[in-house]
Parts: sequence; C-alpha cells; structure tokens
Amino acid sequence: MKRLLSQSPRNLLFLFQVLGITLLLINKGRATDRLTLGIVAGLILVIYLSNYILTKISKGDNYIFLITTMLASIGIIMIYRINEGLGIKQLVWISMGIILFFFTYFIVKKIRIWEKLSYIYLIGAYFLFLITFIFGDKRHGAINWVNIGNFSFQPSEIIKVLLIFILSSYYSNKERWKEFNKYSSYYLMGIVYSFIALLFLQRDLGTAMLFYIIFAAIQFIYEDDRKLIFINIALIVVFGILGYLLFDHVKIRFQAWINPWRYIERQGYQITQSLFAIAEGGFFGKGLGLGHPDFIPVVYTDFIFSAICEEMGIFTGIGIIMLFMIFVYRGFKIAIAQRNEFYRILALGISILFGAQSFIILGGVIKMIPLTGLTLPFISYGGSSILSSFTALGILQVCSEEIKSKEELDEAGD
Amino acid sequence: MKQEIKRIIIVLAGFCLAFISLIVYLSYFQVFKASTVKNNSYNKRLWINEASILRGSFLDRNGKILVYSENKDGTYIRNYLYGRLYSHIIGYSYREYGKTGLELQYNNALLNISENATLNELKNLVLPSTVGNNIKLTISHDLQSKARELLKGKKGSIVAMNPISGEVYAMVSMPDFDVNTLKEDWKAITENPDSPLINRATQGLYVPGSVFKVITATAFLEKENLDMNYECTGTANVGGYEFSDYNKKAHGEIDLEGALVNSCNTYFTTKSVEVGKDLILNIAERFLLNNEIPFDLPVKSSQFPYKGFIDKTELAAASIGQGKVLVTPLNMALVASGIANGGQIVKPILVKEIISNDGKVIRSNKTEILSTVTDPVKANLIKEMMVEVVNSGTGTKARIKNIKVAGKTGTAETSSGKSHAWFIGFAPADSPKVAVAVVLEEESATGGSSAAPIAREIMLYAINNIKE
Repeated sequence: MKRLLSQSPRNLLFLFQVLGITLLLINKGRATDRLTLGIVAGLILVIYLSNYILTKISKGDNYIFLITTMLASIGIIMIYRINEGLGIKQLVWISMGIILFFFTYFIVKKIRIWEKLSYIYLIGAYFLFLITFIFGDKRHGAINWVNIGNFSFQPSEIIKVLLIFILSSYYSNKERWKEFNKYSSYYLMGIVYSFIALLFLQRDLGTAMLFYIIFAAIQFIYEDDRKLIFINIALIVVFGILGYLLFDHVKIRFQAWINPWRYIERQGYQITQSLFAIAEGGFFGKGLGLGHPDFIPVVYTDFIFSAICEEMGIFTGIGIIMLFMIFVYRGFKIAIAQRNEFYRILALGISILFGAQSFIILGGVIKMIPLTGLTLPFISYGGSSILSSFTALGILQVCSEEIKSKEELDEAGD
Repeated sequence: MKQEIKRIIIVLAGFCLAFISLIVYLSYFQVFKASTVKNNSYNKRLWINEASILRGSFLDRNGKILVYSENKDGTYIRNYLYGRLYSHIIGYSYREYGKTGLELQYNNALLNISENATLNELKNLVLPSTVGNNIKLTISHDLQSKARELLKGKKGSIVAMNPISGEVYAMVSMPDFDVNTLKEDWKAITENPDSPLINRATQGLYVPGSVFKVITATAFLEKENLDMNYECTGTANVGGYEFSDYNKKAHGEIDLEGALVNSCNTYFTTKSVEVGKDLILNIAERFLLNNEIPFDLPVKSSQFPYKGFIDKTELAAASIGQGKVLVTPLNMALVASGIANGGQIVKPILVKEIISNDGKVIRSNKTEILSTVTDPVKANLIKEMMVEVVNSGTGTKARIKNIKVAGKTGTAETSSGKSHAWFIGFAPADSPKVAVAVVLEEESATGGSSAAPIAREIMLYAINNIKE
C-alpha cells in the first residue's frame, strides 16, 4: 500500500510529461527530428528513473525531488514551445542538474566537515564578488554575469548557496563564536550587509532582496540577541529609503510598480507586457502554442511565469504557486525533523531560498510587489540557475535524512 | 528547543501567507482587472487579427454606411465617411492612437472573433474567418447630422432617444474632432482646454439646475400628506441662506404645478426641507443618479453625493439641482424618458444589431427596464405639469404646433460664473416618440431661450422622420 502511494505521483508526473510534450509536438505541426525525440524520451526516462532510484538510495524525503522535476517539466515544455533550440538546451541543463543533484547528494553525505569551513565559504564568496566586478558583463541592467572564454555564469547563484553555509556554520556553533568574540553576531551582520551592498552595486536588486530575506529569517529563528533583529529591520528601512532617494534605478522600479501604465513606453514596458499576457490567458489559458509569449520581454527567464499563464491559464499558475508552497512546507518539515543543528539550519536556509526567490519573481511579474529580476527556480531557462538550484536540492536531500546530532557524534567518537 | 520550533513555524506561516496572497492577487487580477488590461491599445495581441480580417462596417438605423474597411494593395484601410459626426460614438481604431468608442467596445464583434479562445481556434480550423461582422446602430444619421448642426459653434451635448424602447436616435458632444486627420491634429486636440476627446453625453458631469426639479417634484408627490400650496414672495430663507427666484420675481399663491411651470426656486427649497433628504435621495437614485448606467459606451455615474447627514441649506440647494449634484446628459435624457414611459426607465441602446457578413443577425439588443421611478399615475401628473411648462411656462420656445410637448428648462449656475442652459423633454406627450436632453455648456443664457428651441427642432424632426 505504502509503495503504491509513493509510486503514484511519479506516474502522474510521467503522464503529465507525455501528454504535454505530445501536445507540443502536434502543435508544431511538422515532423520532429529524431534527435529531439530521442532527447525528450531520454529526459522523461531520466526523470522517471531518478525518482525511482531516489526512493531506493535515500531514506529521506522523496517529494521535494518529485516537485522540482514537475516544475522543471513545465519549464521545459514552455521554453521548448517558445524556442525549440533553447528548449533542447534546457533539456541538457536539466539533465546535468539531475546528475549534479546526485553528485552533490553523495559528496555532502560522505564528507562531514562542512560546518567547520566557515572561513572558506566567506573567502569563496568575496572571491566570486571580486571576479564579478573584474569580468562582469551587463545584462538586463544588472552586472551579474561573468564570461570566461566561451563559458558564462552568474556568480551570485553560487554565492547564495555559500551564504546559507555561512549562516548555518555560524548559528550551529554560535556559543563557540560568542566565546571567541562577544560581538560575533554583529560581524556576521556586517558581512551579510557587505554582500547586499555589493549586489546593490551590481544593480542586482532581486538577489539583494533574496539575501536579506534569507538572513533575516535565519536571524529571527536563531539569534539570541533579539535587539539585533530590530536593528536589522530598522537598517533595511533606512537603506531602502536612501536607495530610493539616491539611485535612479531603484526609483524607476518603484514608479513602474506604482503606475506602469503611465510609463508604458519605457519603465513600465516589461511589466505591462507581462500583465497583458496574464490577462489574455484567463483562467484556463489560450492553449499551448496559441498565445503570444513572443511579445513578452525576457520571457525565457524572469517572465516565464507570464508565458505559462497566457497559454496554460492562471489555474496552472496557481498550481505552480502551490507546488512552491508545498516545497517550502516539506523543506521546513525536514528542518524540524532534523536533529543535527547544522543540517537543520541548512535545510531552513535552502527552503527559504527557494520560497523567497519564487515569491519575489512571481510577485514581481504579477505586479503585486515591485519587479526585480530573478529566475523562477527550476522553471526559468538558464544553466547557472538550474545547476545551482539542483545543487541546493541535493543538499536538502541530505538534510532530509536522519543525521546524528553533534553530541551524539561526539559520544560515538569517544 | 521549543522556542526554536515555534519560531520556525512562524516563518513557515509567513511563507504560506505570502504564497496564498499571490494566489489571491492573481485571481483578483483575473476577475476584476484583466478585461480592462486586455483592451489597452499597447496590447499587441489586439492588432494581430487586424492584418488578416476585414473589419466590419458601421451602419445607421436605416442601413446607411457610416464606416467601412477596404482592401488596398493587400492592407486594410478604414474609411470614416463622416469624420467628425461620430467621433464620440464610433470613435476610431488606429495603431498609433489605439481604439475608442464602439470601435473599442465591439472590437471582437467587428473582427468576428469570439471571446472564447478555444472556440475561436476550433472555428478557425473548420472555416477560417476573414470577414468581420457589421454593426447596425440605433442612430438616425439624419437626426445626428441635424443635432450636430444645431450645436455647431457651441459647447455641450444633445441626446435624443426613444423613451419606450431605449433606442438612442442621436448623441452629439461638442467640441468634437475629425478622426480622419488625427495625425495632423493630435497635438491640438490633446492640448485643447475644452477636451474634444471627451464624450460629454456620457462622460460630462454637469450641474443640472432646474431640470433637476422634475426629480424633486416626483419626490414631493411620493411624500404623503404634503401641503402642496405655498405663498411665493420671490425669496426664501432656508437654514440661514437666502434663496431667490429668477429676477426675484414673486409668483404669489402657487401649487406644485405652478412651481414647476414657473421654475419657482423658493417653493422647492422650502418644501424639500419638509420632505426630507432620505426621500429625495431615494428618488434621485431611482432616477439612476449614484448608479452605473449600463450602456454600449462607458458612462460616468451621475452624483447626488448626500448619503450622510446634510444641513437644510445643502438639501435646499440640492433640491433645485445646485450644490454638489452632477449629472450626465444621457442620465437626464433617461429622466425625461422615465416620465414619458409611465415611470419606468429603460436601458439606453446604441447598438441595434450585430449582423454577420452574410446578413444574419447574430445579436440584437432588447429593451430592458432598468428602474421604476414612480407609479404611472404620478408619472402622468408630472407629465401634465411638464406640458404646462412648455405651454405657458419657461419652456414656450419648445412649443410645436398641433403636438403636445412636455419639458423642463434649467439654467444651472456654475463656479465659473457662466451658467449652463438645459432643456429636457419629450413629445408627443400622450404617446411619446422621442425624449431629449440638451445642455449648452457655459452658455450664459437661460435654458428657455437657448436650449428649448434646439430641443424643439430635434423633437419635431424625430417625430416626422424616424420610423421605429
């Protein structure tokens, strides 16, 4: 009985993929080459098998991977529908992401010194910021891409995972850090604010907001010095107002949020095009291939959700939001069940990362909150985003397993 | 430990709340905002079909072509045969300036695309549509031209309609603009302080002045045991403010009819305090003030903004259509229609039929009762009083030989110091064929001398020429 239950969502996902992709191929209306068919069949098989294998090798949570592969499938279908070439590329990225997921899972599981590497994470993060400024390339108004040869990636995607490791290793050993230095929590806050300031200088407001939310949430749960939490809130209000007054790009985003129709030709262009798409889709969508996602700017990455709403309707949109909600819920559940504090905070950090990132971009494209550019985890096109998301997912998978607490480990060591 | 779990759950609750708010906002957007957002002319989807479908024509009630599209060297050209005459009703459809008027409201019908996307696709698979539907208006082109001629050089609006069926025969708003030369005139149009783009008939909010007394008089009749007699001395003090009649003329011993015929301010201001705000508000709302009027074009709601407490002076001012009372000309045409139609206001109709390319009627607008303002007996009493207004009162310039005309004049004082001239009425009084509202904006003349003769021309022409 239990086996049947844990199997059925996997089969449902399989069914969804087959139906979605068949519809897509019919809609394209011409013979598809064998390579594409092969890759598509391969991916469906990989996802199905991965979900199957995972139940065999991991005693942890099997739903988080299932949810993310569902999200990834929706993303592939949509991206392939808009641009076949990119769709195939996304297929490759997802496949690599799944490999990376298993790789991360084994590495993080086998090596048990992660909480002692605080300085390495810190140095790594600053190093990545440094190369962003040296090799940085401007895309969509933000300097957050690094090109080295033919290879380009977004360092901030790696830094956000490092940030979670920094926070976890600090708060799981906070007594020791406090002994070492009474003001260590203030230093930590200074470090996080330096990250946020650097992101702000890169004009990557979305990631800056994301870093703040991750930090604020972890701090809220684990900081014993409650005064700091109020300082943190007060500071962000002050910086927010200063940012608005001093920087034009902040002001523009805010104005485009308040009344995009007034600036429809320029600042409000992106968001209004997104709203047109969502409005046209209605509740059930125009149907796959029948809408005009090509009218939406940056549709593959930031605005993928608008394209999904146009063609699949806000019912699918609401479904995606609910999947993220369930994902966050599972993540928090994993954290609460985890006895080892380092892995507990790690699980929280990763759940908050996905929750906050999806909320910021979803809220942005539907104009509930000001729009800041971020990818929608697992759905948007992009190598850096997909790979870092699957890496984080691999870590979360480890966290979902039973790990002995530090005290228990110490006892075992004795 | 326990505290840690508690805090984790607080953060989790925060996230759940955030996600649920996304769902709520998205649903709210889809239900309440989407239809307006979709029709924004910057939405490129609106123009895709334009290239492949011949946009339908507009016809008047007799089938006269007003607007049509034709294929010129592979692209469709829209021809507006009467550039100015229908600038507010039909509006325009240009890529650069978007769509307005019926061109906007009936866009899907004109292109023969269904509101339902799936249905559309299926239909296109079976038989691809390349020709849109035609729209037949209730407008009489001749009366529309005549109304515009009468209003030429003035600011204001005329609405003429059938009070029984709700069909609008003419709807003119001045100043207007030429939709054929938008490109050349755009700057001048948008910078003109008189705002030619606004359809004054549906969007213009005017102080009604004495034409509002028709509504107040209805409220007086609804009040039980009201002493209708009054001794007019030319002035009256209500709540410390002195109201006076036109030229402070004392009308002497009068009743409600005498008060309406002579447009006696002191009568209405004094009696309104006895009747009370609630009843007047109630009747005003039955005459569709404070209400949205369903129409083929967007209509601004007329205002009788006295839901809360008001003092005697404010009520007295409102009873003679001054103060904060504001009405649209269309609403006042409906007021006249309501009295003409035995106390029932019908929905105004501008689009008579949507006709497919092969001549089939796809959709037609049917007469619908919007509101019952009073019973037929009281409506008849008001009507007789309005007939007297035209026979022997302030509205004698609307008199037509051998036809009984009912009407009411108004001269509304405005903050600019220049008054609006009003006339509302209908004819023939005993079997009404046409109801009319005329407003001349900042005309600085009385309604009886300037608006009544225009209304007369409209009514006379409509009775003689329009076939139902």
